[in-house]
Amino acid sequence: MGKASVIPFGPQHPVLPEPLHLDLVVEDETVVDVLPQIGFVHRGLEKLVETRDYNQFIYVAERICGICAMGHSLGYAETVEAFMGVEVPARAEYLRVIWHELSRIHSHLLWLGLAADAFGFESMFMHCWRLRERVLDIFEKTTGGRVILSVVRVGGVNRDIEDSELKAICGVLDGITDEYQQIMDTLLTDMSVKNRTVGVGALTREQALELSMVGPFARASEVAYDVRSFGRGAYGALTDFQPITDAQGDCYARVKVRCEEVLQSIRIIKELSAKIPAGDISVKVKGSPEPGARAANVLEQPRGECYYYAQGNGTKFLERMRMRTPTSQNLAGMVEALKGCDLADVNMVILTIDPCISCTER
Amino acid sequence: MHLSTEFRILAASDVHADAAARKAEGWRYVQMLAVNNEDSVDVVYSYMKDGLLDNAVVEALPRDARLASITDVYLEAFVCENEIHDLFGIPFDGLAIDFLGNFYRLSTESPMTIISPEKLAEQEKQRKLAEKKAKAEAAKTAKAAGEAASATDAKADAAALDAEMEAKLAAMPPEKAAKVRAAMEAKVKKQAEDGRDA
Amino acid sequence: MGSFHLAAMTLKSLFSKPETLQYPAEVKAPYAGQKGHVVNHVEECILCGMCQRTCPCHCIQASKPERAWTIQPFMCVQCGSCVAACPTHCLVMDPAPTAIATAKHEVRQEVPEQEKAAS
Repeated sequence: MGKASVIPFGPQHPVLPEPLHLDLVVEDETVVDVLPQIGFVHRGLEKLVETRDYNQFIYVAERICGICAMGHSLGYAETVEAFMGVEVPARAEYLRVIWHELSRIHSHLLWLGLAADAFGFESMFMHCWRLRERVLDIFEKTTGGRVILSVVRVGGVNRDIEDSELKAICGVLDGITDEYQQIMDTLLTDMSVKNRTVGVGALTREQALELSMVGPFARASEVAYDVRSFGRGAYGALTDFQPITDAQGDCYARVKVRCEEVLQSIRIIKELSAKIPAGDISVKVKGSPEPGARAANVLEQPRGECYYYAQGNGTKFLERMRMRTPTSQNLAGMVEALKGCDLADVNMVILTIDPCISCTER
Repeated sequence: MHLSTEFRILAASDVHADAAARKAEGWRYVQMLAVNNEDSVDVVYSYMKDGLLDNAVVEALPRDARLASITDVYLEAFVCENEIHDLFGIPFDGLAIDFLGNFYRLSTESPMTIISPEKLAEQEKQRKLAEKKAKAEAAKTAKAAGEAASATDAKADAAALDAEMEAKLAAMPPEKAAKVRAAMEAKVKKQAEDGRDA
Repeated sequence: MGSFHLAAMTLKSLFSKPETLQYPAEVKAPYAGQKGHVVNHVEECILCGMCQRTCPCHCIQASKPERAWTIQPFMCVQCGSCVAACPTHCLVMDPAPTAIATAKHEVRQEVPEQEKAAS
């Protein structure tokens, strides 16, 4: 048994652009303990509800995170609608889910590219981001923005997608599916990828439940929890939705779950764009929330369940707005997954958990 | 499986026992948050089981209150507990990973408890609006009440007046009394007609 | 087997048209509905101030006494809420992005008096 020493990891580290700091306690080459630290990019966005009214705050909510922008605006809008008693038109709900699933595809492809880059698989990185660019192009065409979409509003959505445009989107997704499947086959069967990921940072189902993990991180440990399976909004119109799970709980399982979720999202978009009803895309929301009116809501972000809480105080400004992001929930799981792994595998474990620190700190 | 949300009240002393009981029943920890009130803080604990999102609210904690940490039961709560300590100034006893107020680098202490000038201005505006509304309302109700009251008062007064008048009339000569009586009856009749018109 | 797929893909991209644009030489034309920058057609503007009130980043000033409409293009986040709120539809979202500048500046437009033809 070697002497324990502490190695700092981050907040600036080549493997991920997120400002996450870890104090790794290592004995020889093995990590025995980990102390995570965040707090480098806290911006106090929750405090901004006091100066932005509930319609304006949606643009602040979007800017919490560049990758989950659509998810945050959607979660915020749903929460406010819940206590304002707003009935969102069906077409708006379908459009929201279509954009949300597109953003899941773009988030997972971005992550897949970064993961491939961390393996040293740089041509894969280029191919993933090439496909992601097509999704961003769909966003640009349908919403007018690449990353910050500003398309959701309290009471509906700002823009409609023509049915012909929806067909075109499905066509683009078909093109992506074909190439994506080849990338996925390569990644999941490649020997060097398997050497880096199989059996690394494994968590059992019991541990995942114990640590209340969420998202693909939990689903890779066979916890079949996905907020989408509650079937709210347009998710209720899906004929069949099963969360994608894997039993191994190691890095390979996490890669696999995310890879398959992209295909699942493509299936969801195709099904919904075939079923989308005609009608209005938004309703007018009048008045201010009642004093003491509050609502709690959960939403499946690309990284897992995100919790929203909003409280009104009788003015057009909200009393409190709170988001608990998936990474905040998964930090304890990350500590557990890192314990016992090799120092060289630390970046692989962190990357497959896909933390979003900027989201977490808001 | 459907998602349903519930809010319920929890006593500050039961926080830890509640968490332990839930852990034993297989609830999943979802989150913790604090809400700043004028001179107190509410803390909300959320748990989920089988699609039920249960929010236990610890209401009106004084500014100098302490809470028991639930990190020995749900380790993942350390992020939220450190955050609440830094932003709202509520310390937690027995925090498993305690950053001692260094979780976020802050320039002011417990920034979320400071009520921003914009909010104060808005509150003031709302208060004035409410006052104005209340005044208008009060004036309206006073008017309505006044009318109702005057109607009942009129009856009571009339009765009292009658008694008084009867006494006076008894002392009067009969022909004068008859005249006064006729005048009073006419007056009452007129009043009643006026009341109907109004 | 897997690597073969990737090799085929890479080989294919060797002979096909590049996915990227050679930026300064080739510029991608913006889509029709793209959020570029806000333009005010001042001849229809009534300086009602709806845009100023609805803007989440407080970057618009509509001043009736000065008859001026001002926007700070580098503070604007192109959310489009002013365009949606404008009662006369004189505000439009132009698809071309905000022009590159070396310093933050504001765009001030004089608003001519409206002829009260309608009333």
